[in-house]
Amino acid sequence: MIAVVVVLGFFFALTAEAIPCGPFYALLHPDFVALLLLYWAISSASELSFTVVWLIGLLQDMVLGDVLGAQAIAGVVMIYLLYTGIARVRSLASWEQLFFIFMLLLAHRLLVWSWQAWAGTITWHFSLLLGPLIGALLWPLFTLTLDYLRHALRLNHT
Amino acid sequence: MPALFFPRRYPPLLRVVVLILLTVFVSVSSEKHPNIGNVSLTIAYPVQWISMQGARLWRQTDHYLQSRAALESENVRLRAELVRAQPKLLEADILRDENRQLLALLDSIPHPPGKVAVAQIIAQNFAPGSQLLVANLGTRAGVFVGQPVLAAGGVAGQVVRVSPESSQVALLSDLDSSIPVKPAGSDTPLLVDGTGNLDSLAVPFQPRNTPLKVGDKLVTSGLGGRYPAGLNVGTISAVVHNGDQPFARIAVRPAVHLGRLDTVLMLWDSPTSQPAAVP
Repeated sequence: MIAVVVVLGFFFALTAEAIPCGPFYALLHPDFVALLLLYWAISSASELSFTVVWLIGLLQDMVLGDVLGAQAIAGVVMIYLLYTGIARVRSLASWEQLFFIFMLLLAHRLLVWSWQAWAGTITWHFSLLLGPLIGALLWPLFTLTLDYLRHALRLNHT
Repeated sequence: MPALFFPRRYPPLLRVVVLILLTVFVSVSSEKHPNIGNVSLTIAYPVQWISMQGARLWRQTDHYLQSRAALESENVRLRAELVRAQPKLLEADILRDENRQLLALLDSIPHPPGKVAVAQIIAQNFAPGSQLLVANLGTRAGVFVGQPVLAAGGVAGQVVRVSPESSQVALLSDLDSSIPVKPAGSDTPLLVDGTGNLDSLAVPFQPRNTPLKVGDKLVTSGLGGRYPAGLNVGTISAVVHNGDQPFARIAVRPAVHLGRLDTVLMLWDSPTSQPAAVP
């Protein structure tokens, strides 16, 4: 059951990344896949496998059609950074986690950017910082919603 | 989640480093072999298909919520547009006949009419630099890499990757995009490059005393054989002569509203560029 919910969650996060709703949506939407990775890494008791994180990122690269590997490596490094301070982050309330989440999403975005810049498919623009900012601001709402869903579906911690 | 492939007994840092090396390998090989891009487009298709359904639902609710007054005024506007377009269509018919006669006089082969197919946009990727769309026609409909893609108004871009059911389109504004053009009514060959900005393209390498001026229309020149000649590309919106720069900076407003595309036209220009598999 929990596996189905996790897979479905990532599937919808991936569709939300590519949904053709015009340039404003592209500019403002947070990286839902990265948010979901952070959520499961913080809330599940066992460690996420880096290989699974990498494969999810690779699938995201395929859906976006950009250089392969950018999201994959950014996801792995972001989760690695999170695990270096996981005990402290878990001890905080979700609104207190906001700052850490912003830093992690920022690191994620900059890694994706540098990988794509290396392939020559992207230029720098300050609007690139909006995604992580909005993602971090949505974090308390995001965790509350997912916690509620998990409670309603009676999914236990794994 | 179980540990796939990777035994957990290795330290996390080592696992991350191995994955970084693997990513470098994957990135480099995907840049070298275009087939990897086509395969990844195939894998992505189910996700993109679902995302299109989401977008369609969004658009339908939007239409549903539009007021009657807005629809009526739109109707009036479209009717007026139709009345204005009717004589132009008639004129085009006359010109086509005339052109055929003139071509016959020149003993030249008449240009075969192109075939178009309407495709829906099912995914987007707008970032500062890369402006890519995915359309729902692929090799099964005869779409090929390098195919011109049109939209209301003129040229939108070209196909860069294909899978059986979908194709990836690089818009004119993509950083890697470049299209051969000429000013309408002249034969000066020019290029229009993407800048990564949806509303502004650029004409590179024009001297500071360029005769181009704001308001000039640019159409495809047909050079290079990828785009047929005479399609609308855009209008020059700014010409800046900067004293310390070797070239003039020329901005072009694209003829197509590139950020708002939901359907595009795939164009098969002539039988020579059309593969045999077309139904």
